[in-house]
Amino acid sequence: METETKNINKATENWTKRLNKIGLSPLGMGLLVVVALIPMVITDEFILRLLISALMFAGLAMAFDFTAGFINIVNFGFAAFMGMGAYTSGLLVVKLGWSPLMTIPLGGFMAAILGFGLGLLTLRLGGIFASCMTWFVALAMMSTTGNLVDLTQGYAGITIPLLFESVTNWPYYYIILVMVFVIYILLVCITRSHIGLAFRAIGQDLEAAASSGVDATYYKVMNFTVSCALAGFLGAFYAHFIGILTPTLMHTSHTVEIMAIAYIGGRGTIWGSFAAAMVMIPAMEFMKDLLEFRMILYGVMMILVMIYYPKGLAGLWEKLIHLFSPKSEDTQGMPNGAGNKIMKRI
Amino acid sequence: MELLVEWWDLLVTAILRGGIYALMAVGLSLVFGVMNIANFAYGELYMLGAYFAYFAFTVLNFGPIPAMIFAAMMTFIVGSILEKVFFYPLRQRAKKQWLMNSFLVTLGISIILQNSAKLFWGSTYYGITQYWGGRIRGISSMSISMDRGVGFLIAVIAITALILFLSKTRTGRAIRAVSQDEIGAGLVGIDLNFIHTLTFSLSAMLAGIAGACLLSINPAYPTMGIQPLYKSWFVLILCGMGNVGGSIIGGLLVGLLETITYSYFSGGWQDVISLTIIIMILLFKPNGLFGNTGVKSAVE
Repeated sequence: METETKNINKATENWTKRLNKIGLSPLGMGLLVVVALIPMVITDEFILRLLISALMFAGLAMAFDFTAGFINIVNFGFAAFMGMGAYTSGLLVVKLGWSPLMTIPLGGFMAAILGFGLGLLTLRLGGIFASCMTWFVALAMMSTTGNLVDLTQGYAGITIPLLFESVTNWPYYYIILVMVFVIYILLVCITRSHIGLAFRAIGQDLEAAASSGVDATYYKVMNFTVSCALAGFLGAFYAHFIGILTPTLMHTSHTVEIMAIAYIGGRGTIWGSFAAAMVMIPAMEFMKDLLEFRMILYGVMMILVMIYYPKGLAGLWEKLIHLFSPKSEDTQGMPNGAGNKIMKRI
Repeated sequence: MELLVEWWDLLVTAILRGGIYALMAVGLSLVFGVMNIANFAYGELYMLGAYFAYFAFTVLNFGPIPAMIFAAMMTFIVGSILEKVFFYPLRQRAKKQWLMNSFLVTLGISIILQNSAKLFWGSTYYGITQYWGGRIRGISSMSISMDRGVGFLIAVIAITALILFLSKTRTGRAIRAVSQDEIGAGLVGIDLNFIHTLTFSLSAMLAGIAGACLLSINPAYPTMGIQPLYKSWFVLILCGMGNVGGSIIGGLLVGLLETITYSYFSGGWQDVISLTIIIMILLFKPNGLFGNTGVKSAVE
């Protein structure tokens, strides 16, 4: 009898470990099930749409955190890569009549190519330089998109066919849920592998990493390309979810929004950005009556996090976990435990 | 002969345009050189300058010059408040990640200022038709509006005053000392906190003056800051960051580049062309046009 329970215990432990490897804890799994069941309970389409956009921002913020939090490069043209994916996919459907299911990955692919090229040209240089260059390129892309009136209909906006013909939102919900889930697993797997170790090393001290044999440019470009590809991928989904595209999608203010979420969530954690987006996007929506005040709140939060708590929400959560269970130093609690382990090994 | 006149017109427009860019870029460059802050809230200070000038000119019935002085003083005060409230505590805490953290703080400041402006003054344009009426006639058929001419003159005066301040006065030399070696400057007894606050306020003031000068051309509006912001960044990256002298030449160069693209390309393509040219220059000369003469270059 006793051995049986032991066996079961061992089995669950093994499973927990395995799940931890891909960045899931029992708590995370539980939340995932809850999130997956939401459309069955909530029938309000407005709330569902809100959750869809929260999930989308979560994906974007995670992709942003993947560069900002790990290799310490701020991609200041992030929204343009999203727009690149959105326009690629949208235009292929509108002009050539391809199926959205085929063009959404293609949108990600185009953004990846752009990211690869830009990364190759700019990332061997310093952080601020790379930020400015991505910003300038994003500005140029925005005006180009606005000016190619024949193709994109400029600032008037172009109508994109939706992914589904029905008016309900739950199919979108599940698609974006799966997309974000896959992105999360992918990013966590990368950051926990030896590649992730190289990323962290580059982000913390570029010269030290380079002198111990890490090919900094190679890893930086790789990281940047993955992040851009994900942005394009999510942008392409956005195009077929919203149904209309204007060049303002690429505006700097969108980048700033994603950036704020990622940094408030906590840099270098991936799940922190996810959590922050899921909390902040609905919260911002419900505070809509406050108009400018909520944006001011955004700014204030960002500044407070930067000055007083650079670890962000993720750091706060870990502190809490630490307070309540002293032995949680291991991989229990939130997935970042494994990350800590790696850090300790360094 | 006609071609020559056309070129002359282009050159005059370019210089007028470039003067203001130089003024903006000098302020941005000063803060980057001394405090190592990549200031993203600079455009918002420009916006505040425009608003202050508007209210001084129309509500308080100041003359053009007092209105500009009022705007300059107010942005100076705003700059010192921002420095004391945000960057002073950050400097106490952030050590290694200072460049990125301070950059993100300026982003937060930019969000706050922009939305505060929206909150207080709404999304309407506050503009004046002119400070001084009349036009200046040159040797060609082209005439320049008086406001542009005087704006350029004020930019030149402000930059000259700043350079004189930096090179002749004790405080100015202290600022330069801090930009060269902060620890060394602290060792010889320079009050670093004071210098940092002063530098940030001075830079805010330059942005405010630029905003006030151009009020009759660009009316005050909450999101008006992004254009001057990225143009000043152009100049800065083009000429090496922290290089105040280079920023003047850079400002004129960017002005020239824009004027040429604006007169030879139609529609909204001008921005694309000038952006593309600048991106190209940067790809081939990432250190900026003047190599390593800047205090700090883009390549860390």
